[in-house]
Amino acid sequence: METNINPFEMMIGGLSRLLNDEEWVGCGTLSPIPASAILLAKHTHAPNLMPFIYGDLSLRITEGHAESFALFQRGKFDVFFLSGVQIGQNGHVNLSVIGDYRKPKVRFPGGAGSNMVYSCSKRTLLFAPMHTKRFLVKEVDFKNATAFEEGEPVPWRKGGPSHLVSPLCIMKYDKDKRVLVLDSLMPGVSLDQVIENTGFDLGIDDREIPTYNPISEEELRILRTEVSKEVSTVYPDFAKQMWG
Amino acid sequence: MGLQAGVQNLPFIPVLGLIGSDYLKYRPDLKMVKDPYTGNEYVAYPPIIPDVSLIHGYKGDRFGGLTTHAYREDRLLAMAAKVTIAVVEELLEPDEVVPGLYEIYISPLHVDAIVVAPGGAHPTACPGKYETDFKHLDEYVAASKDEASFQEYLEKYVLSVKDQEEYLKKVGFEHYGN
Repeated sequence: METNINPFEMMIGGLSRLLNDEEWVGCGTLSPIPASAILLAKHTHAPNLMPFIYGDLSLRITEGHAESFALFQRGKFDVFFLSGVQIGQNGHVNLSVIGDYRKPKVRFPGGAGSNMVYSCSKRTLLFAPMHTKRFLVKEVDFKNATAFEEGEPVPWRKGGPSHLVSPLCIMKYDKDKRVLVLDSLMPGVSLDQVIENTGFDLGIDDREIPTYNPISEEELRILRTEVSKEVSTVYPDFAKQMWG
Repeated sequence: MGLQAGVQNLPFIPVLGLIGSDYLKYRPDLKMVKDPYTGNEYVAYPPIIPDVSLIHGYKGDRFGGLTTHAYREDRLLAMAAKVTIAVVEELLEPDEVVPGLYEIYISPLHVDAIVVAPGGAHPTACPGKYETDFKHLDEYVAASKDEASFQEYLEKYVLSVKDQEEYLKKVGFEHYGN
């Protein structure tokens, strides 16, 4: 087996396998890892998947974000990919500030339509390009996109988080307890490594956590050839950095 | 959504989302509204009506019609604003202002002025024509760290420059062979 696999390639493989054929799958701006996962799925097990990769000109649209938000609001999407500057144990996502909202240490561009998209998609795959205690936290500093409502669900809520994929592991979302729970380890990663780098309890209890290989040699070959070429038209810098 | 309320001159627009988010703690302009039909609660968003919208397009005519990129919200910005100024890469006759691939058309009804400035989006991109000039953006970001260095930047690239052509020469913009 190929041993020199980039952690982002592992993430792409893991996310790709969570997509099903025929699904409408969307990802927003600054999402090269999800974009790669969508294209990999389409080239392998999900040939009839409907990809909506924002900025991919091969899909022609007519009214920018207003149009894509309209599609989400009408419930067209089965899957959305979401990340931020912090992701909380309960699945809430922060895209606005680190620190206090009025006196932040760092301020980011903000949530855009993430709150709506998180509730209007049938399920959301969270991705964490870095697996650190500062990124995966117990409580986020600011809630932009919420995984659920405290009281009655809003009338337009169709779903919420289903998984989180990071360079170290895959977590599943426990819908009853409303928390992310460790599901499997990426190859070469130890359980301690995940625990040490996560800012919340991973709900392991007595479970044996398996190692899961998220990408086969054939998937890796397709990723590095056909998919990398397509990704480079939308994310040239990412593709260059990953695949030269 | 605020922009869409602005386009239609609506007093507010109910949105799907934001309930449960921390926005409601910090944004007094976001208020709750009850759907008179179902009784469900929504967040109301105020209209966005820019005093001036500045948009950048491809082809334009002297009456104000133009084409812009389909992945942007330029048409909504033009329709919502009190005054819209559009910058275009080239000036053509009205019947030649036809959207190319990935472009949309904006009616002269929504545009108050057309500025013809090839390379006018620099240092940002005009997709399909020229890419973002990251080197120049880095210089801009570095200059914006304090007042004095930003003043220097302004002097060098804006205040001391007599026209668009000279600006493009100064920043080393090569697309139009200047």
